[in-house]
Amino acid sequence: MSQSLDAYLVLSGILFAIGTFGFLARRNAISMLMSIELMLNAVNLAIVAFGAFIPKLATAGSVIALMVIAVAAAEATVGLAIVIAIYRNRKTPLVDEYDAMRR
Amino acid sequence: MPRGLLTILGSLALLGALVALPLGLVLVGLITFGDDVLFFVLAEVLILSGLLVVTMRDIIRCGLAMIVCFGALAGIYVIAGAPLVAAAQVLVYIGAISVLILFAIMLTQTKDAPAALVFQTQALAAAAAAVVLAIVIALTVGATDWGAAGERIHTATAQLAEVLFNQYVLPFEVVSVLLLAAVVGGVFLAKREEGGPS
Amino acid sequence: MTLAMLKPLLAATAEGGGTPTSGGMFDLLIPLIVALPLAGFLLTALIGRRLDRQAHWIPVGIVVVTWAISMLVVYAALTGQAPFGEHGYGVTLFDWIPAGSFNVEAGFFVDNLTACLLIVVTTIGMLVHIYSIGYMSHDPGYWRFFAYLNLFMFSMLLLVLANSWLVVFAGWELVGLSSYLLIGFWYRRRSAALASKKAFIVNRVGDVGFALGIMAIWVNTGPEHTLNIRDSIAQLVRQGDTNTIPLVIVALLIFAGAMGKSAQFPLHVWLPDAMEGPTPVSALIHAATMVNAGVYLVARSNPLFAAAPQALVVVAAIGIFTSILAASIAMTQTDIKRVLAYSTLSQLGYMFAALGAGAFTAAIFHLMTHGFFKGLLFLGSGSVIHAVHDEQDMRRMGGLARKIPHTYRTMLLGSLAIAGIPPLAGFFSKDEILGEAFKLGFTWVWIIGIVVAVMTAFYMFRLMGLTFWGDSRVDPHVEPKIHESPPVMTIPLWILAIPTVGLGAALALPLGDGRLLHWLEPVFEPAMVILHRTHEEYQLFGIDGALIGASVAVATIGMVAAWKLFGVNIAGLIRKRPEPETVRRLSARVPFLYRASLNKWWFDELNDLLFIRIGGRIAAAMWWFDREVIDGTVNGVGSATRLAGTRLSRVQTGRVQNYALGIALGLLVMAGSYLLLAGR
Repeated sequence: MSQSLDAYLVLSGILFAIGTFGFLARRNAISMLMSIELMLNAVNLAIVAFGAFIPKLATAGSVIALMVIAVAAAEATVGLAIVIAIYRNRKTPLVDEYDAMRR
Repeated sequence: MPRGLLTILGSLALLGALVALPLGLVLVGLITFGDDVLFFVLAEVLILSGLLVVTMRDIIRCGLAMIVCFGALAGIYVIAGAPLVAAAQVLVYIGAISVLILFAIMLTQTKDAPAALVFQTQALAAAAAAVVLAIVIALTVGATDWGAAGERIHTATAQLAEVLFNQYVLPFEVVSVLLLAAVVGGVFLAKREEGGPS
Repeated sequence: MTLAMLKPLLAATAEGGGTPTSGGMFDLLIPLIVALPLAGFLLTALIGRRLDRQAHWIPVGIVVVTWAISMLVVYAALTGQAPFGEHGYGVTLFDWIPAGSFNVEAGFFVDNLTACLLIVVTTIGMLVHIYSIGYMSHDPGYWRFFAYLNLFMFSMLLLVLANSWLVVFAGWELVGLSSYLLIGFWYRRRSAALASKKAFIVNRVGDVGFALGIMAIWVNTGPEHTLNIRDSIAQLVRQGDTNTIPLVIVALLIFAGAMGKSAQFPLHVWLPDAMEGPTPVSALIHAATMVNAGVYLVARSNPLFAAAPQALVVVAAIGIFTSILAASIAMTQTDIKRVLAYSTLSQLGYMFAALGAGAFTAAIFHLMTHGFFKGLLFLGSGSVIHAVHDEQDMRRMGGLARKIPHTYRTMLLGSLAIAGIPPLAGFFSKDEILGEAFKLGFTWVWIIGIVVAVMTAFYMFRLMGLTFWGDSRVDPHVEPKIHESPPVMTIPLWILAIPTVGLGAALALPLGDGRLLHWLEPVFEPAMVILHRTHEEYQLFGIDGALIGASVAVATIGMVAAWKLFGVNIAGLIRKRPEPETVRRLSARVPFLYRASLNKWWFDELNDLLFIRIGGRIAAAMWWFDREVIDGTVNGVGSATRLAGTRLSRVQTGRVQNYALGIALGLLVMAGSYLLLAGR
């Protein structure tokens, strides 16, 4: 199994789906960000898997994965900073309270 | 040598052997009998911990589950033949991002957090969407011919370094700038108002 | 338009007179006949208010000049001078509607038929104008009255002189308008306002038919469409050789218009109510001119009707039916003007019956004589009303013969004329109608016509008896003030008495070969040819004499019967006291007939039921439909949109996760469908 690309990709898909569920279903903003990290990781897994099995993409896979990790780090930083700023304003980390753009 | 010391040392050695031996045996067995089992185990851990991340009530426990998840992922990277990526995963994700998230959780905790609902009203629809998404991806993956080689390709670090600093040096630099911008932006956004309440 | 009129004048002065190709001075005179009253109307309308009591000078002056010019034109036409010749002369003024294949010219046409109408219209018009100076002298709307009278003259002359169907229609509508304005002259009176509306609307019903007829004419003339009256009729008749159905339809549609204007059944209901207008109006419009427009129209179209014999039968039937219907109503009416109004209806019916039977000349003859003696009778009745201080109910008159002698004598002449007593005018024309009808095989027309003749004589002398003879039933307060009308009113009466007495003889003698017959022969010749009519010798001592005898006999019977019941006192020679008791007894013997006659056979009530009530319900249903269904749909679209918008806007919760779910679902749908399609 570990020698089949499909397995890695299916695993990546499952992790991505889990992350999607968490993003759409949790009330806490930080939980949402954690779910986003899960999703990013799932994508990263897929990229590394491609790098592992397709000869042309061998090094490219790892490089891209490194970039993704770096970008994910940057995004987590900014996202959390925003959540903290909103928390200071709204006094709650629950996203269903953030409905100022409501009709 | 006093007799007591000998006994303690002896017991420790025995304990260590008792623990290490089966563990070593298992590990040897694993390594000898195939990465498949390891992959399977790590995949299970990954999925389980991922589910725990999105379903547990206490956020801090969610964060910890996330760390386990990242660890398992790093293991899978190793199996897939990308050791540098695995190292980066551990260093950046577990070492930095998880810590960052835990700090943020600490800063945004409310009293009624444990008592409040965990899930939104749309959780059911979200679950359905997630399931369908997984199925769609699985189907697509199965239906596509990736042109994959049968064996995993191990990426040597020296090779990787060569490519990274020759071919991909521009993205490398841009990402560094991005990180700088993220740091500055994050500090600015989370900064307290001048003279405001802490 | 001025330019077009100047050109012939210049041509006339250059060429010095008429040649068949250019009409010389008639190119100017004929349009003048129409233009002068129009100018009179405009001038009086603009400055009349300021002139007030002097406002009559302009319109009356203009009408007199118009009469003079008309007489000139009539003389030239009837004597066959150039440019009229036998078949008349047309003046085209300008291209009215040059729209490619739809080309309508506006212009005038004068032939012998037109000339006959001109005599009636301009003469009576002039006399009514002069009479009105006296009759309307106390009215605050004096200047307005004369303005409207001139407008009417313009409209009627336009109608009579028109050479194109569309111009006729324009004149047609304008006389309708003038009638409306004049009937409702005392507009503050509710009954007058209602009557004028009724007249206009009932006219309109006929006009719809007329308009459709004009459109049918256009459609059926070909290959070159034309709305010129003579050309279009000639074309239609030629096509009639193969297919008469379009001809019948066109003829009936035109007759529908005539029915409206000339108040034939069932469009007769407006004429009695039109008596709400001042009496000069009744005399001019509703006796002598406007109501004759229908007769003129059918006479003008005689080849068309001749080629569609079914239409002729319809015309005759409706005509004679109207005649007897109206006569039956006239016998019980108590308002002096109403009696005369129903009498007019009845005589118009005669004219249409004559046209329907194919006796075109007889119809025009009666048109002319009737115009004069009915005008006389109406103006006379106006004089009576004026004398008894605006009392119109005959039950409060009586014994006026000595007190208003001029009015009495002229009205007596008029009554004798309408009853058909020789040698007055009515005898000749009525006898010709009845005689021709009989000889042409329309026996049923003759029979009904004879009955109507009896009734006519009867109700006319009933009117005379109630008004002039017997004891006075006048209101005691009014009685001492009864006086004869001023000369400005009585002189027109005497002037009208002249044709009343003599016109018949002048036009009809020698019998069977009269002047009018010669004048109108070229006009009606096409119809005669189509109907295969041959000229028969007049048999004074044969069938014709017998018919004359019958007409005179029945007229005398009716007259004497009226004398017996309502009294008579002619110059002390023929005397009888009225017998009101006998009248009451006889009326009681036929209660239904009496009531039916008194209630005008309930036609107004029928119309009210059919059109106002039932029509009103239908209209209400339509309105409901329009309100609920149509507006409902339109408004419904609006409110549905608004509702949809309100509901849909709930999607905008302001929460990111909801939007993200939307994105996820959309993405899954797209991916899923792509998979499915790709799999297929």
